[in-house]
This record gives sequence, C-alpha cells and structure tokens, in this order.
Amino acid sequence: MDQQGQNGLLTTYREGWRKRGLSGILISLLLIGFYLFLYFEDKVHRYYHVRPLTDLAASLGLRNRWYLYGFLYCAAMLFGAFYYLKRHGNSRYNRIRISVNVAVQVMLGFLLPFIMPLFGGTEFYASYFWPLKYDYLYPHTLQDLPLYLAVYTIAGSLIAAPLLAFFFGKRWYCSWVCGCGGLANTFGDPWRHLSSKTTRSWRFEQVSVHTVMFLAIASTALIGLDYLMDNKSSAFHAVVSGNRWDDWSIKYVYGLGVGAILSGVAGTGLYPLLGPRVWCRNFCPMAAMLGLIQKLGRYRIRVKPDMCISCGNCSTYCEMGIDVRSYAQNNESFTRASCVGCGVCAHMCPRGVLKLENVKPLATEKGRQGLPIVHL
Amino acid sequence: MGPSSRIVIIGNGVAGMEAALLIRAREPQWPITIISEESDHFFSRTAMMWVCCGQMNHQDIEPLQRDAYANANLTRIRARALGIDRSAQQVLLAGDHPPVPYDQLLIACGSRPRPGPWKGSQATGVGHFVTMQDLEWLEDEIHGGPASTRAPRHDAHLRASNPESPYFKRGTALESRGSTSSQPAVIGGGLIGIEAIEIMVAAKRTPHFFIRDEWFWPIALDTRESRWIGERMEQHGVQVHLEHEIEELVTDDNHRLTGIRTNQGEFGADLAVVAIGVMPNTDWMANSGVELHPRGGIPVNGSQATNDPNIFAAGDCAVLPWWDGTQRPEQLWYTSRDQGRVAARSMLGEKATYQRGLWYNSAKLMDIEYTTAGFVNLNITGERNWYFEEQGSVRSTIRIVTLSADDQDNGNQSDHNQGQRVIGFNMLGRRWDHSILLQWIRERRSLQWVLDHLKDASFDTELTPPLRIPKSALQQEPIAATARKTNQPTIEPPTFF
Ligand SMILES: Cc1cc2nc3c(=O)[nH]c(=O)nc-3n(C[C@H](O)[C@H](O)[C@H](O)COP(=O)(O)OP(=O)(O)OC[C@H]3O[C@@H](n4cnc5c(N)ncnc54)[C@H](O)[C@@H]3O)c2cc1C
Ligand code: SF4
Repeated sequence: MDQQGQNGLLTTYREGWRKRGLSGILISLLLIGFYLFLYFEDKVHRYYHVRPLTDLAASLGLRNRWYLYGFLYCAAMLFGAFYYLKRHGNSRYNRIRISVNVAVQVMLGFLLPFIMPLFGGTEFYASYFWPLKYDYLYPHTLQDLPLYLAVYTIAGSLIAAPLLAFFFGKRWYCSWVCGCGGLANTFGDPWRHLSSKTTRSWRFEQVSVHTVMFLAIASTALIGLDYLMDNKSSAFHAVVSGNRWDDWSIKYVYGLGVGAILSGVAGTGLYPLLGPRVWCRNFCPMAAMLGLIQKLGRYRIRVKPDMCISCGNCSTYCEMGIDVRSYAQNNESFTRASCVGCGVCAHMCPRGVLKLENVKPLATEKGRQGLPIVHL
Repeated sequence: MGPSSRIVIIGNGVAGMEAALLIRAREPQWPITIISEESDHFFSRTAMMWVCCGQMNHQDIEPLQRDAYANANLTRIRARALGIDRSAQQVLLAGDHPPVPYDQLLIACGSRPRPGPWKGSQATGVGHFVTMQDLEWLEDEIHGGPASTRAPRHDAHLRASNPESPYFKRGTALESRGSTSSQPAVIGGGLIGIEAIEIMVAAKRTPHFFIRDEWFWPIALDTRESRWIGERMEQHGVQVHLEHEIEELVTDDNHRLTGIRTNQGEFGADLAVVAIGVMPNTDWMANSGVELHPRGGIPVNGSQATNDPNIFAAGDCAVLPWWDGTQRPEQLWYTSRDQGRVAARSMLGEKATYQRGLWYNSAKLMDIEYTTAGFVNLNITGERNWYFEEQGSVRSTIRIVTLSADDQDNGNQSDHNQGQRVIGFNMLGRRWDHSILLQWIRERRSLQWVLDHLKDASFDTELTPPLRIPKSALQQEPIAATARKTNQPTIEPPTFF
C-alpha cells in the first residue's frame, strides 16, 4: 500500500536512547572508540601487540580490516534500512530511495572492490567521487588506475556529478548513492531529530563546510602541482606530499583530519548526540560543492500556500537542521544549499504542505491565489 | 510614522504573535506588551498531539526561536487577565501584577474547551485537549509524564489563577491511583477527538470512542468516506461507538472516573477526554463593556475592531459574519493568523479589511490525509456529488460537489459552464493543492473540465503512483447527494461568486 504521510505517530522522544541522554552518550563513546581503533590499529599494535580487527578480518576471510569495516558498514545499513522502512516505508519515495542507496553501497561500495582484486583487477570504489574521495584526483592515483577507470573518475567527479546536481539537486548523490549519506539515513536515522535548528548552527555550517571544500580543492591542486614539478623542489614536495606517507605533509594532514577524524570519528561517532548528518552538513566538501550547484539548479521544495499549521514536524525531523517550518509558514518555496532531499519533511508534514520537485528555474510561482483575501 | 501608541495584546497564540510582529516591523519604537496566562512561549496548538505521544518535544512546536521576544523588543507578562477597565484604558491582572495601561488593545484570547454537561464531568480522570495544561495533564495520565525533560513552566501562573481558567492544571488520576490509564475513552467525534484517539493508539491503548452522530464527523465526511476512517480506527483497536448519547460519567468514592454510561449501556473507563467542541474564551471579560455575542465571541467589523474603537479582537475569540448570514468564529490556524495581521494593520492606522475567501482545510485522520475546498456537506438545494474510490496500491476517494450550471451562467463566453458546475471538493488519501481547486471553483469550471485537468491540482509526493480514473467512472453523472445526516436542512446556493 502506498501512502504519503507519516504512518502512525512516532514515539521518538519516549525512547530513551534517542533522547541525547546518558545512553546516547554511551553509544556515541562506543562508536568513537571503534573508529579510533579502526584508524589507529597499527599504532596500537606497535605498542601493545594486538590487532583484533585485523585478526577478525582474517578469520572471516576478508583481506584486511578495511574490508571488515566495509562488511560491518553494509550490515549496519541493512539493519538500519529495515527499521527505517518500518517507520517510513509506507511511502514509495522512501522505499525506492533507501533500497537504491543500500544496493549501491553493498554492490559498489563493498562487493565490487572486494571481488575485483580476486581477478587481478583494481580495488575501486565506483560510488565515490572527488572531492569526497579526495585521493581520486591525485595524479598518482589516476596514474595507477586503468584508463577507463581514470576517465570514469574524472568525468564522474567533474562533469556528471555537478550536472546531475543541477537538474535533480544534490540528492541524487547525497541521498541515493553516497555511502556516508546512506549510513546516516539507515543506521543513523533514529537520531535525525537531534540536528540543531538554530541560526547559530547554520552560520557554523556555512563557514565550516566551505572551508573544508576550499581545503580539498587547495590540497588537490598543490599535490597536482607537486606532481607536475616532478620533485624539482624537494622542500615543496616534503611540505605537500611528504617523503613517507605519514610525514606531517599537507596530504597526510588532510587525509587524517578530514578523511579520518571529521568523516569517521566525529561524523559517525556523534550520531546519537548531534544527529546523523554531522559530517555531511558541516564538513563534506562534496556536499558543499553540489550544494552551491543546487542553489543555481532546478531542485526545490515547493510550499503549498496557506496550509501550514506551524507544527514543526518538518523542522524537527530535518537531519540537516534546516528550519523548514520557517519557509512553510511564510508560503515560501525554497532551495537550501544543504538540503539533501531525503524527503522526510514532505513525508512528516501532516498537512501535505511540502513537495520536493525539479522545475525550470524561475518557473512561475502560484503565490497566494484563492485564499482568504486580505486587502491591505 | 504616526504618534506613538502603547499596544497591549492579550494572548500569545498565533493571532496575537502575528499582530505583535507585524506592528513591530512597522513601528520600531512603539511599546508592545503581550499578556499570556497559558505559556511563556508562543507554541503551535495544532501540534500538541505529537508532543503528547513523543514525536516532538515541547520546544519543537514553538514556531519562533526563544529569543524572538527579546529580538523584537516585546514585553511579556505571564499572568491571567481579569478584566478591562475601559474608562482608565487598562487591563486588570490577577495576582500582584499592577494594571497594564494601553492606547490600543488587541484581544486574541482564543478558545476554551466546552465542558461536559453531564454528571461527573468534573471527576478526576476527566479532561480536555485544548490548552498546554490539558496537554500536560494528558501526558501524565497516559504516559506518566512528558517525554522531554525540557517541558515548559506550566505552573508559573498558578498562584494567581483559579480552577475556572482553562489554563489551570487539573489534578490527575495518576496521582491517586499511581498508575497510568489502561482503559481510556474519548467523547466527541470531531478533529480534536480523533487526535486524542490517535495519542491513545500510539500509546498502545484500545480506547472507547463515543460519537453522538450516525457516523464519524458528519459535518465534513459522507458515509462512504467516514466508513473508511472507521475501518482504519478499528484496525488500530479503537472501539468506535456511534449514536451513543452520554448520560453520566460514573465515578467511585474518590471522585475518580470508573466508567461512562450512555443511552446504550455502561463502559469501563479510567480516563476520558471530552472533545465536544470549543467556545470563545471570553468569560474573564464579561463585565468589560466590550460587546459579546450571545454565544461568547467578540463581534468585530472587517477591520477586526470591536464596539470600542481602541479595542480589537482576532483569532478564535472573534466573531465574524459568514456568507450564509450567520455570525460565527473561525477556529482555524491560518485564519487566526490572517485576522491577527489585519488587526495589526488597523492598529497601525492603515485601512485593512479581512475577507474570508472560500472555505478550505486539511487534516489527517489516523493515517489518512484529508483535503477539502469549497462547499461540501452543506446540503445545498440541487447539489449533486461525483464520487470515485481508488482501490489500487494507493487508496483514495474523490468527491466533487456540483450544481447545475444553467441558472448560474452569467454570460461567460467559454464552454466550461455547461452542464454541472463545480463548487466543492472532498478528497481523502491523496494530496491536493487546495489553491488550484479553489481557483477552479471561482472560475466556475464544469465538472468535465475539472476531471480533465485534475492532475494539475495533484500535490502527491514524487514517485507516488499516479491517479488513474477509468473511463467508465469519468463518464458517470454526478448524483443527487444521498449520504446526508437525517433531518439536515437544505440551504440556498451561495450567490457571491
Ligand atoms: C488539539 C487542537 C488541534 C487543532 N488543529 C488544528 C488544525 O489542524 N488546523 C487548524 O487550522 N486549526 C487547528 N486548531 C485550531 C487552532 O489551533 C486555533 O484556531 C488557533 O490556535 C487559534 O489561535 P488564537 O491565537 O486565536 O488563540 P490561542 O492560540 O488559543 O491563544 C490564546 C491565548 O490567549 C491567552 N489568554 C486567554 N485568556 C487569557 C486571560 N484571561 N489572560 C491572559 N491570557 C489569556 C492564552 O494564554 C493564549 O496564549 C486546533 C486546535 C486544537 C485545540
Ligand atoms: S510544513 Fe507541514 S510539517 Fe512543517 S510546520 Fe507546516 S504543517 Fe508542520
């Protein structure tokens, strides 16, 4: 059966672990601990001579702990998707979106990169693009890829992704394809109401997400320049790329700071405290880039005039912290750069006020026709 | 900019707040005071049901951030108004608050629940669902307390309030019994009633639902539509009792509710939400000399002014002339907001008139969405109904009310006045853009034209399977409306559009 609205009342705040209380803090600490261990197991091993994740991976027949992580990631998504669909699966948009997202992650984000090397192929993550996957435009990476994959990466990152975002909004990536978004919308979905809706958090997001985008572009450009200079300046090379991978070079710092700490440890670790899109909203360079294109493009949330009862369901359940209600109660159709088009505001709205759509820019606005006419 | 005027607004509901913000936008210097007994912050009354079940917390239903009062430089007084001294131009407050002087006063004091007229209506375990204090009472009775620890200060006013006030927090049966309700009941089959039912269902109870009418919500739904809602309620375990007249709310020695006796028998119940309507919340100003309608509302003219030129009224408490000649309040969120805006403009000295356009509304009945526009269920002489029930993967109903067009034709050139002319829509299950439906009514479109263009008014979410009406259904003639309440009088067709 296909329905559009929220199917029955949610008991969100009556479930203790979803309330940003003690159990939320505990879950958060567990997640953060897991990520720290995952990223720094080598260091732990150096001092304590244990590496449980690597051992567990080996016993499961997975090549290394990153495949174990990939496996757990898929399991968490599947599990989360099951509960997401129990809550919101009465709507077809939600069903199709989540299924596609999970399928992409399991196939392109796990199975394919696992299987390809078995047949002598490259370990390649086809669902990730630059600048999210920041090293995919590094010259050395491109050099090592087979030609067709190098072309795929360049064309995907620089042409297809922006173009699709122009026509359909950034949701095509952030809510249908991306693994980070996928985990947020499945495993992280129980905490979506915890994102902050204040103007302050919006200001923070604008500064931080564009800063990271700048850092992503700048570091990639420097690394490209370093490659072109072909080690002519060893000082420059040392600063930009480092002589060993873990020298404190720009490349290493970006990878550690953005790739590990912000996207993994903080991004996922803070789900139970700040909502599931901490990374996507505040730090993801891909989201920032596609967001700017989205503002110029055709995607928007349409608001049905004079029907909003200011209830706040849309704002509460916006994982990106957009105060949707402030637009809806002003009869204002809108496009926000951060909106990932998950569709939950439209789904939650008890008065059917909101609708996601792709329209030609400047399509005529219907305005307040036919409503209580106030002669001012 | 006119001469400075001291503005006092009674009520920080949508009408009062909207007016305050609009006046502030125009007149940065005017002193504006808002008096509210119910709550510190403006909140969305329409959203109380979601707070009760835990879908949102108390702060989530506040449409403005909490610094809004400070940012707009609005003075707030949390107190109960006890009357208006018109000769001294001041509002009298309960407790030790000094009177508040005004140059212009806006009364936006909303509605209060209609009390049950039966024996036992004051028992512990009996309450309503209209005010913030009602919400807190129901949170206690059903769940043992609020879901969120950030609940508002409900007791701020208590020392100066009294049990007559709708904002007085009732004692709970929870206190004396020590446990939450296991067999709740709701009396009154309207929108607030079904919201209370949903809260109970979400809390995994199987409530009794006592409805006086022949079917659920006859002022808006016909039998076929209502049957679907009824089915959905029963699937959720609701015990729907139609055509039950309440005779007594039965209590024990502790004056606690134990059952409900109707003309058809007695039913055990330890909690009853009485939702038999709301009425203007104006008893506190009965002796102020501001004219009141016999049924309690404050009559206003098109500029929202009362009989006193310095006193205005807006929102649920104001009474306006309707198209059918009656004088009634409009108890809706969006009309309260618009009335607040018009009142503000009048107080600013601008010429503004509030004109109610065609009726529209939407609601959600259990999980079925409902949109209505125009003249529906009014039993207009000569009215016909075209009805279609979709039973595919989407379930929906479409009811289009028509009048025969010939005598209404006022020389319009186009052919869309032929045959049946559309005057109303009643839609369940799918989403519709009411603004387009209303436009068609005003454009006097024919039934045929409307059916041909129906998809233009669709507001379904993306990927929802599109509505397909089979040819046979499209060619059906509308039939004289039969699904009527017994003895419902007919009324003459509206002449104003
Ligand atoms: C459960 C429920 C669900 C609803 N759902 C919908 C819906 O879905 N759609 C819709 O259109 N409408 C709905 N309504 C109706 C809608 O909420 C009202 O029409 C609207 O809130 C009226 O706003 P108002 O500003 O006129 O008054 P209110 O919001 O009632 O505000 C009145 C204010 O006056 C103050 N006040 C009153 N008396 C005094 C006094 N003596 N001293 C000091 N202060 C005083 C109170 O503190 C309060 O702040 C619903 C109502 C209820 C109860
Ligand atoms: S748009 Fe819908 S969900 Fe959002 S505040 Fe308005 S009525 Fe509520």
